[in-house]
Amino acid sequence: MQNKLSFHQSSVSLEIIGLPDYSNNENKDQISIISQWKLTMIDKPLIEGKIEHLGPIMNAFYVYSNLLIKNEIPIYESKLIDIKADNLHTHNIVLKSSKPNVRPLILKIGNSLLSDTINCFDQLNESSKVRIKKTGTFNNVPKKVRFGLNNKVHFLNSILPPLIAICSLFLFSSTFIYFYNPIEDKEKNVLINPK
Amino acid sequence: MKIFSARTITVLNKGNQISRQSIEKLDLLLLILETIDLNGIQSLFALSNRLNLNNVLPNKVTIWKLRNSNPLRKSYVNNNIKANEFDALIKITVEMSTYLYPYIREILKSKEDFNENSVIWNDFKKRFIELINERFNKDSMRVKKILNQNENDEIIIKSLLTLSLCISNQGYQKLKNLLLNF
Repeated sequence: MQNKLSFHQSSVSLEIIGLPDYSNNENKDQISIISQWKLTMIDKPLIEGKIEHLGPIMNAFYVYSNLLIKNEIPIYESKLIDIKADNLHTHNIVLKSSKPNVRPLILKIGNSLLSDTINCFDQLNESSKVRIKKTGTFNNVPKKVRFGLNNKVHFLNSILPPLIAICSLFLFSSTFIYFYNPIEDKEKNVLINPK
Repeated sequence: MKIFSARTITVLNKGNQISRQSIEKLDLLLLILETIDLNGIQSLFALSNRLNLNNVLPNKVTIWKLRNSNPLRKSYVNNNIKANEFDALIKITVEMSTYLYPYIREILKSKEDFNENSVIWNDFKKRFIELINERFNKDSMRVKKILNQNENDEIIIKSLLTLSLCISNQGYQKLKNLLLNF
């Protein structure tokens, strides 16, 4: 018997279907092996897929929304999903099926549905009952557009500016370096004292 | 599961000082919340009590003083807002957005279906402009941009969207990273 967990936010609901990992002594109501998921948006076609599709789709929504609110060009393109803004309040989503001869699904959603969807994904991320393994795609997200959760200040960031300053000072001052040349000095002396 | 791992905060924090852009942005978000909640100042203070932030935000005047660190305000005072005060303001912003999410959503929806349901959007925008006129320095170019009817839709929508995306348990961290990195 499979477990079902639903996450709701206004007009959007996300359903996760799967099994607990009994080899890890997990509870009966836990989901670690996801067999299927369904994303329902009111008045829009149902989006469903397997675990390997869920990660990239969540990823796409997070990256896209981050670009949107950071005043960067809001375009996300991948093998599975493309999202781009038609205007300030309409977002065009193209979901490409991994099966051959299946036409891509095109959805147009507004800001309200976009935020509902991301809040559903947030609920899934924060749920203790569902465990999702990180897929490779998560690591491919460019650092610049990550909606980061850590605020560590890297050691490198604090050491790099003074290091660059010292290097540039050294390079600059090295252009004025004077090497003592005894022959030249002798010639000068001869010119001063012609005797 | 944490989808996005480390994102380094490289801006600000020179001796715990917060950049003026971060304060401007946060104050604008608080003003958006005040536009929705007519009794916004009281609600913000009530939330600070609920979140046990009394040591940082002991009264409404303190909240008002901290918000006056926004250089766009008429009553701007160069207070050098501290990191813990900035954090406290972020916490109450996130908490209030969580409570007001249905309203934030309705305002965004009203803009999407503008031809059918423009009343909510128009009312919201009218009150927002009134608050900006009342509290912000209208001589500033940035404020002029916020007041410009042709340009301010984008600012308002993005601010509403920012608030609507920070209502989860990780909302505080999300909003903090966003404010410190833009």
